[in-house]
Amino acid sequence: MDLRPNLSAARVAAVALGGLMLATSCLAQTIKLGMVNSLTGPHASFDLPASEGVLMAVDEINKRGGVTVKGKKYTLTVDSEDAQSKPEFAVSGAQRLLRDDDIKVIFGIMTRGPGMAAATAIGKSDVLYIGAFTLLDTLLGKPGGELMIRTLNNDATVAKSFVPTSVTELGVKKVGIMLPNEDVSRSIVAVYKPLLEANGVQVPIVEYFQPDTQDFAPVLRKFQNQGLDGMLTGTNDALVEAILRQATELGGLPRKFMYRGGSGAPAIKYSKAVDGFTWQILTRDIDNTSDPKVKAWVERYKAFTKKDVSPNSYWALTFYDSVFMVAKAMEEVGSITDVKAIGAKVKSTKYEGVRTMRFDKDGHAQSDIDLGILKNGKVSSVRAAAS
Amino acid sequence: MDLIQTLLDGLMVGGLYATVAIGVTLVFGIMGILNFAHGQMVMLGAYTAFFVVSAGLGFWPALLIGMVAMGALGLVLERVVFRHTLGDHMQGLTASLGVIMVVENLAAAAFTHDPRTFEPPLPGSFQIVGLTLSSQRMLVLVLVVVLVVACHLFLQKTRIGKAIRAMGQNRTGAALVGIQTTQVTAVVFVLGSAMAGAAGVLYGSLFAITPYMAAAPLMKGFILTVLGGLGSVPGAVLAGFLLGVAESLGSRYLSASFRDGYGFMLLIIALLYFRRGLFGHRGKVRV
Repeated sequence: MDLRPNLSAARVAAVALGGLMLATSCLAQTIKLGMVNSLTGPHASFDLPASEGVLMAVDEINKRGGVTVKGKKYTLTVDSEDAQSKPEFAVSGAQRLLRDDDIKVIFGIMTRGPGMAAATAIGKSDVLYIGAFTLLDTLLGKPGGELMIRTLNNDATVAKSFVPTSVTELGVKKVGIMLPNEDVSRSIVAVYKPLLEANGVQVPIVEYFQPDTQDFAPVLRKFQNQGLDGMLTGTNDALVEAILRQATELGGLPRKFMYRGGSGAPAIKYSKAVDGFTWQILTRDIDNTSDPKVKAWVERYKAFTKKDVSPNSYWALTFYDSVFMVAKAMEEVGSITDVKAIGAKVKSTKYEGVRTMRFDKDGHAQSDIDLGILKNGKVSSVRAAAS
Repeated sequence: MDLIQTLLDGLMVGGLYATVAIGVTLVFGIMGILNFAHGQMVMLGAYTAFFVVSAGLGFWPALLIGMVAMGALGLVLERVVFRHTLGDHMQGLTASLGVIMVVENLAAAAFTHDPRTFEPPLPGSFQIVGLTLSSQRMLVLVLVVVLVVACHLFLQKTRIGKAIRAMGQNRTGAALVGIQTTQVTAVVFVLGSAMAGAAGVLYGSLFAITPYMAAAPLMKGFILTVLGGLGSVPGAVLAGFLLGVAESLGSRYLSASFRDGYGFMLLIIALLYFRRGLFGHRGKVRV
């Protein structure tokens, strides 16, 4: 009986099996990161640059050799889902990522509607979630939120650096607070008013207005001729621009403003009519920076995205450094799957990236921020570290 | 002094409301429908002004172009949509809601959601007998008074104005005495839309322009239409000034968080004592 054909078939089978094992082995040497962000819809202006930051960090880590865990080299890949600025799509996107057992870390979402929906879904799983929306702070450290981290400072932390720096830069002594009548405004007042007073600033007037107000004249009249030299206001660009416009038009009102918000845009048009305007840049000022690290990052961002920076590009730094922190934590922990150890390592690490990243034990960001300043018609920024 | 300043602020805003309400009440008086799409004329008038001023033509041409453009659009809407709903008020109401959806979404797609503003012709403030007043707000107050008076004179003194008033009182009777009701209806749409266009230009000179800005003035316009007496132009104007003053005084001396609530309180109180509105007349509409 001639067995040669059968031996040949066995050789082919052995080679095929070996190839398959090799291929499987190669596939195993990737770390798959999940990302859910609103790449379309009204929230895309925040989430799209944030997702670019993740992709850019992954690209840079891979180009410098990937992640080495226990002597084994891994490259990073990203599996991205579009939340479409809607909670239901955020949940379905998160669930698709959670169904993939290889995904142990998920990044994403800057806005609270889709963010809360996705975080609630992710919180039920053994996955490290690194997000940025404001309400994420309310989940951190609580049951279901142990494996969550927020990469942007909460209001209280921002205020600790924003208030003293703004008071110094603007030289204000007596400030009125004017905010829309919303829950968030009450918490802003609870945080900012004592801090202003602790920095030697009187706060004799706090006024809340109907959130969809267009005509601010009656409420601004309350601040008129009260000897105020500044106003703290918010909470979005459209409202603040309307307040500034009408304040400069009515006369007898302060000409220095502190904006609890992230853009200088509301004041730029009125730069000649205001004496000072400060705002919060929760990542880095990429337009007027003298920081060489930021300048170099901007050049890399432009090369990676093949587009120029826009007013929202600074959100690309929301998760950028965190990707490096996760990679570093995996190397130091010696695991790509032990999310509890990786999360704990990230929280306990101070990382000097483009931003200076650090967290408390629950995952609240304690990072420094940049503070935008418009004074004498000129825009600049200063670094404001949390005290 | 503070009270006078606040009163003047209220009169200015009230005048804007009245300018919007005139169009709403005229259409109601003639056709018996509450034209929800009227607010879109305010929004489009404001955008027209924004683009005209941005093109460097200035505020005054913008006011003129805004009025003419919205008047023309009102004519188109009357010919294409509302003329065909004359016999059915519910159909007219539904059509106006459809027009809102189409215009608002087209505006959002074309102009984006970003708020727009343009430089007013009189920026800054001035002092007079101890009052600190906004120059542009005072200009707007003067302009709305001029517009309201001009509209009143048009309705009272001109032949077409008399025809409009006649139709407001009895459409069938007006037709029987030889009034071309279809032409008068078209004139009412043109007049109301031009007034809304003017209100939009004046709004835009003070407040941010967005595709969704129409909701607030329209809501106020309806309050005024009811408060003034359905179909009554003098009633709508008086109610406009009353509402503006109530909102300003309430926001200044009570709470700015409840601004829109003052209008509804005024409406409820007024209707308790004037069941057909301030100038309503035995169930008949009056123009």
